[in-house]
Amino acid sequence: MEPDVERAFQEYAGQPAADGGRALDPVNLPMIRHWCEAMGDTDPAYSGPGAVAPPAMLQVWTMAGLGTGGGPAAGGSRSGAYDQLLARLDAAGCTSVVATDCEQRYLRPLRTGERVLFDAVIESVSAEKSTALGTGRFVTTRMDLRAYDEARGEKPEEATPAATHRFRILKYRPARSGDQRSQPPQDRPSQPRPRTPGPRPRPVINRDNAGFWEGVAAGELRFQRCDDCGTARFPWLPGCNSCGSAHWTARVAQGAGTVYSRVVVHHPLPAAFGRPYAVALVELAEGVRIVSNVVGVEPDEVRIGMPVRLSFERADEELTLPLFRPAGADAPQPLPELRVPVSRTLIVAGAIATRDFQDVHHDPELARAKGSPDVFMNILTTNGLVGRYVTDWAGPGAVIDGIAIRLGVPAYPGDELRFSGEARPDDSGQMTVSVIGRTDRGSHVTATVTLTPAATTPAATTPAATTPAATAPAAPPTADRTAPGSRS
Amino acid sequence: MSLHRADSLGGRAAIAGIGATEFSKNSGRSELKLAVEAVHAALDDAGLRPQDVDGLVTFTMDTSPEITVAQAAGLGELGFFSRVHYGGGAACATVQQAAMAVATGVAEVVVCYRAFNERSVHRFGSGLAGRAPTAEGVAMGWTMPYGLLTPASWVALAAQRYLHSYGLTPDAFGPVAVADRRHAATNPAAYFYRRPITLAEHHASRWIVEPLRLLDCCQETDGGQALLVTSAERARDLRRPPAVIAAAAQGAGRAQEAMTSFYRDDLTGLPEMGVVARQLWRTSGLTPADIDTAVLYDHFTPFVLMQLEEFGFCGPGEAAAFAADGGLELGGRLPVNTHGGQLGEAYLHGMNGIAEAVRQLRGDSVNQIPGARNVLVTAGTGVPTSGLVLTSDG
Repeated sequence: MEPDVERAFQEYAGQPAADGGRALDPVNLPMIRHWCEAMGDTDPAYSGPGAVAPPAMLQVWTMAGLGTGGGPAAGGSRSGAYDQLLARLDAAGCTSVVATDCEQRYLRPLRTGERVLFDAVIESVSAEKSTALGTGRFVTTRMDLRAYDEARGEKPEEATPAATHRFRILKYRPARSGDQRSQPPQDRPSQPRPRTPGPRPRPVINRDNAGFWEGVAAGELRFQRCDDCGTARFPWLPGCNSCGSAHWTARVAQGAGTVYSRVVVHHPLPAAFGRPYAVALVELAEGVRIVSNVVGVEPDEVRIGMPVRLSFERADEELTLPLFRPAGADAPQPLPELRVPVSRTLIVAGAIATRDFQDVHHDPELARAKGSPDVFMNILTTNGLVGRYVTDWAGPGAVIDGIAIRLGVPAYPGDELRFSGEARPDDSGQMTVSVIGRTDRGSHVTATVTLTPAATTPAATTPAATTPAATAPAAPPTADRTAPGSRS
Repeated sequence: MSLHRADSLGGRAAIAGIGATEFSKNSGRSELKLAVEAVHAALDDAGLRPQDVDGLVTFTMDTSPEITVAQAAGLGELGFFSRVHYGGGAACATVQQAAMAVATGVAEVVVCYRAFNERSVHRFGSGLAGRAPTAEGVAMGWTMPYGLLTPASWVALAAQRYLHSYGLTPDAFGPVAVADRRHAATNPAAYFYRRPITLAEHHASRWIVEPLRLLDCCQETDGGQALLVTSAERARDLRRPPAVIAAAAQGAGRAQEAMTSFYRDDLTGLPEMGVVARQLWRTSGLTPADIDTAVLYDHFTPFVLMQLEEFGFCGPGEAAAFAADGGLELGGRLPVNTHGGQLGEAYLHGMNGIAEAVRQLRGDSVNQIPGARNVLVTAGTGVPTSGLVLTSDG
């Protein structure tokens, strides 16, 4: 890319993306109800007198609507600079768009009758990046949302900050085989390897190490011990490095270990992992070392010397691996799994309930014309499902302070979305919940949700880990959820 | 060589010619063509003709077979051809193979070469997806399902333990990158010519595999490099001053693996390089104090520090301070990678570093160490490896 072209793109950073935006509708129960129905969210805080809007619904209030004319358009707030940037990207061939990240901080709840106002700024325009979808640029915007109680006669000037919302899209040239035609032939065995969503690399198994993987299938981590000199060994080999003996016996490790070394892989990031991950060299109590992952803890919190415990975990439909989790008191708490069948109805209902009328979310023909195999779930629905998953678990009274999500592989009709998560308390009394939503295609979404547990709940740092549906509908909304100051 | 006593190879052969293509990110031609061009360039440098060559050596990873290079380069009959395994660990061993052939009379003129389109076609850093169930595949397969798939990730796992053992932070690697890039900045053949970096830029560069940052990782290159080896005696009659092979050695440690030696000892060193170091010192009769400049394999910065320790330029755990004091730069205790290394000049699997050692002995390096007479060169680290001590003649 020529320097002046590059500079022209960079100069959009800091320019407004939306000026004086005003939500088309005040926060209202019908839209909230439609949203909750689509997401399957039964939290009682979102209905009845004193209802608040689901935090994960935030962006819905800012959506422009169908834009077929007739009514006022919130999208009228979109700035000239932003339109110009998108047009410039279109002109560069980056005509396709996909949302990749959404990061929201909720400063206070939004109550029915409030009107949302918003301004947005273009935070950054990335250099050209090659992605699995194609080559393009990431555009990040940051929106500040305020709200005032229109129903009670407040004026727009009285609006108080309600949330911040950072959103990242990729504007790209779709990768097509025809793009290579004009180039001279190269010694290229195949096209550049796309980061296709896929399973983890498989174990490599032959006669020398089959016993290890048979052990994994049986829920055992087996190492070898030399029959002659007694030396324990790993990895598996047909002979002993200490004495050369060919005689050995498989032993089962008890599962206790210590992190001997660790790395955090950032680049390249295999699609099977979706986000940076920790790989550790674990020294087992029996004295042998094995490379594995430490899960259930943020990757940068894996430390040399950390005690860990073996845990057999399903990486995908066909692969179970011996992984490790932190042992001891700080061990994070797993959330129960939530399975969401991704039906065509869910995708379309989610899109409409979030007022997202992009054709790729409801029209299969047009989706296919744009290179997608079918319609796929929009990011606002994914965000809503993540919010629902965490509040289902946290129970009434917990306050969601922020949701940050990153999308991986799309979710198509017929997929099953399986959410799993880990909650960890921090020193300030907040909890951080790491969520991952997978389909058979790979990781659909990774998310970090911060929340303040209900202060009145005895287990403030350990929300009841009962089945999600069991607790949520029965309990009435508590003061915590509606009280703006309750977070501190 | 022997693991226990000096061998008899020292002083019998010399590098009499070096030749390379340009170093680029997209060569626009085949790997075979790059190899042939490099071989011809080495012949020109030595003042020899294609028909003078009777031996070829390359890497097992190279895609250009000896016979095809001979066919396309106008060579005649070959009496010796050999390939060395284990990636970049082969670099100095190709010269050892050639020297042994020359010293024993098996061949008279042997060209070692390595050529690839590593940037534009086959990038080593893009990550493994699978491996056949051979012994090598199985060894690699113990780490693959957990996402340890790239050279950076394998090096990082050892590097993290090194940092932990000596109470260091990833900033300890910065001075290695800064020295390489400073040297590259004055080398017109270097990709990073006129582009030095600072410690602050190293610190600010993004994580690749923590604790390795972008600026700890070498670049990727398209290009070819060849080295012509003949007897020391014949070399004296050729066009350029000979770079005498005072010692050449290979090394593999106990319980060695290729990049994944995680299950042995304390992961704070490179035992295979220790094997190489002991043999180079024994056979050359030199000590660390005798070395004027070194070309230390630098695909990733941490292993440069470990090599300083394995060769005895400093004690265990002292290399970070050695480097931080400017010890690797021109005028420092041991100027290292005066061409800019693989971080700064080009990633040619270490073969371009051997050429730089030859230039230092000829006195025509762009960053010439005045009066350089003894140069140490090493090959790929983290794998079974090799090394050379080259000296000026007489």
